[in-house]
Amino acid sequence: MAVRISEIFNSFQDYLNNEEELREEIRAIVRNLEKSARDILMILQNIHNENNMEENIIVSQYCVTSRELFIDVRKNYAKLAEVVPQDQYYRFHEQWRFVTQKLCFLASLIIYLEIKVLVTKETVAEILGVKNNREDGFHLDLEDYLMGLLQLSAELSRFAINSVTNGDYNRPIEIARFVNDLNAGFRLLNLKNDSLRKRFDGLKYAVKKVEEVVYDLSIRGLKPSPDSFTEKGE
Amino acid sequence: MINNNIDYFSKKYYKLDFLILWLNKGDGKSRGHRSNKKINIDDRKQENVENMDENSLIVQQFQAYAAELDDKHDRFERIVKIGRDINIESKRIIFLLHTIDKKSKQESVLYEANLRLQKVAQHQFKAIAFELKNQDPYLYLKGYRNGLEEYIEAVTFYQYLKCGNMENWLELEKTLTYTFPEKSKTIQILITPFEYILGIADLTGELMRQCINNLALGDRASCYQTCNFVRNIYKGFLGCASVSNREIHRKLSTLKQSLHKIESVCYTIKVRGSEIPKHLLVDVATEEYADSDEGYQAY
Repeated sequence: MAVRISEIFNSFQDYLNNEEELREEIRAIVRNLEKSARDILMILQNIHNENNMEENIIVSQYCVTSRELFIDVRKNYAKLAEVVPQDQYYRFHEQWRFVTQKLCFLASLIIYLEIKVLVTKETVAEILGVKNNREDGFHLDLEDYLMGLLQLSAELSRFAINSVTNGDYNRPIEIARFVNDLNAGFRLLNLKNDSLRKRFDGLKYAVKKVEEVVYDLSIRGLKPSPDSFTEKGE
Repeated sequence: MINNNIDYFSKKYYKLDFLILWLNKGDGKSRGHRSNKKINIDDRKQENVENMDENSLIVQQFQAYAAELDDKHDRFERIVKIGRDINIESKRIIFLLHTIDKKSKQESVLYEANLRLQKVAQHQFKAIAFELKNQDPYLYLKGYRNGLEEYIEAVTFYQYLKCGNMENWLELEKTLTYTFPEKSKTIQILITPFEYILGIADLTGELMRQCINNLALGDRASCYQTCNFVRNIYKGFLGCASVSNREIHRKLSTLKQSLHKIESVCYTIKVRGSEIPKHLLVDVATEEYADSDEGYQAY
C-alpha cells in the first residue's frame, strides 16, 4: 500500500519538476519579448514629439525602425512555439498574455500610423509571427488582440491632444473617426465581466477625450477646411 | 473666458456652437467663421456617411470576433453547469459511502456507489468530452475543475473502501476516455496530476470522518489501517511541499489537522480502549477537537 502511494507522489513530483523546467524556459523567452516590446514602445513614443509635422517622418523613421525590431519578436515567438507543447497553449498562457497584448497594441499602432486603418487580427498575427487560428498551432488569442486595440485607443487619444499642440489639426479629426469606429465595433461584442470588459469601459473616455479635442478645434474655427475630407469621402 | 467655460461641455451641446461663433465673429483671430458655420453642419452629415462605409468593414470584422467570443463563453458556461452536476453527485456518492456500518451492508453499498460513479463517467464526463472536442482542454479546465476534484475524491474513497488502496491518475484517465463514432477519435478528459493530488488531499478529510465513524462502531482495526494510509499520504505531500503553490499549502494544513485527529483516535484506542465501553470511546477521542472543528460529526 505504502509503495503505491509513494509511487503516485513520485510521479507527481516528476510532473511538477517538468512543469517548472518548462516554465523557466518560457520565462526566459518572454523576458526577451518584453525587452523588444519596451524598445518598440520607446521608439513609438516619439510620435508625440514636437517636430513631426511631416507625416513621412513618422512613417519612414519610427514605423520602419519599429518594424525592424519586430523581426526579433518573430524569432522569439517562433522559439516559444517550439517550447510550448501542442494543445497546451492555455496551460501556460498567463505567462505571455501580458506581453502579447502589449505587442498587439504596438503592431496596431504602427499599422494605424502607416495606413490609418484598423488592423485585423490576421495581420497582427502575421506581424508577431504566430498563427491566426488555434487549430494551426501557436496562435494569437482573440482576447489578447482585443486588449491590444483598447490600449491603442488610449494612446491615440493622447496622440490627438499632442497633435493639436504641435499644430496638426487634421489628425484629431481622423483619430476621432477611427476611435468612434473602434467603439462601434466593440459594442458588437458580448463581454463577460472580466478584464476585457473593464478595459472596454475605459474606451469611452478615450472617445470622449478625442471628441472634446475636435469640438475645441471646430468651435474656434481651427478645423481644417473640409475639402481634404470631401476628396476622401467620394 | 467664454471659450474656457465651453471646454467643459461635451459635444452634445453643439447648439452652443452657434452662440460661440456668433460671439467670436468680432474677434480678429477667428478665421472664416461665416463660412465655417454652414460647413460645420454639412460636414457632420458627411462624416456620418463616411462612418457608415468604414464601419461596415470594421463591423464585419467585429461580428466575426463576437461570434468567436460567444462560442467560447457559451461553451465555458455549459461546462461549468455540467461540472456542478458532477460535483453534487460526487458529494452524494461520498455520503453514500459513509453509510457503510456493517460488513454485510458493505457489499451492496459499494456496488451502488460503483454504479453511480460509472453513471457520472458515462453521462456528465462524456458530455464534457463532447464539448472539448477539438478544443484546448486547458482553456476550459477551470470550468469543471471543482467537479473533477470532487469526483476524484469520490473515486479514491471508493477504491480505498473496496481494496484499501488507490490508483494512479492514469488509471482514472483511462476510464474517462471516450470514442466518438462519427470521427472515430478518442477524447480523454484532461486530468492534470495537480487536480488528482488536490483530490487526494480532500480525500483525507473523508478518511478522518470514516475513521471516527469506525471507532464509534467498534471497528478498531480499520482505524489503524486508515491512520497508516493517511500518514503515507502526508509523507507524500511533504515531498512536494517545495512547490510554491497556495492551493497545495492550504490543503496540506487541513491534511495535517485530519492526521492529528486520526492519530489521537488511535492513541485513545490504545490507552483507554480497555477501560471504557466502546460506544463512549468516540467521545473521549474527539473531545479535544469538539469546539475547534468545522462541520465534523461522529455520527
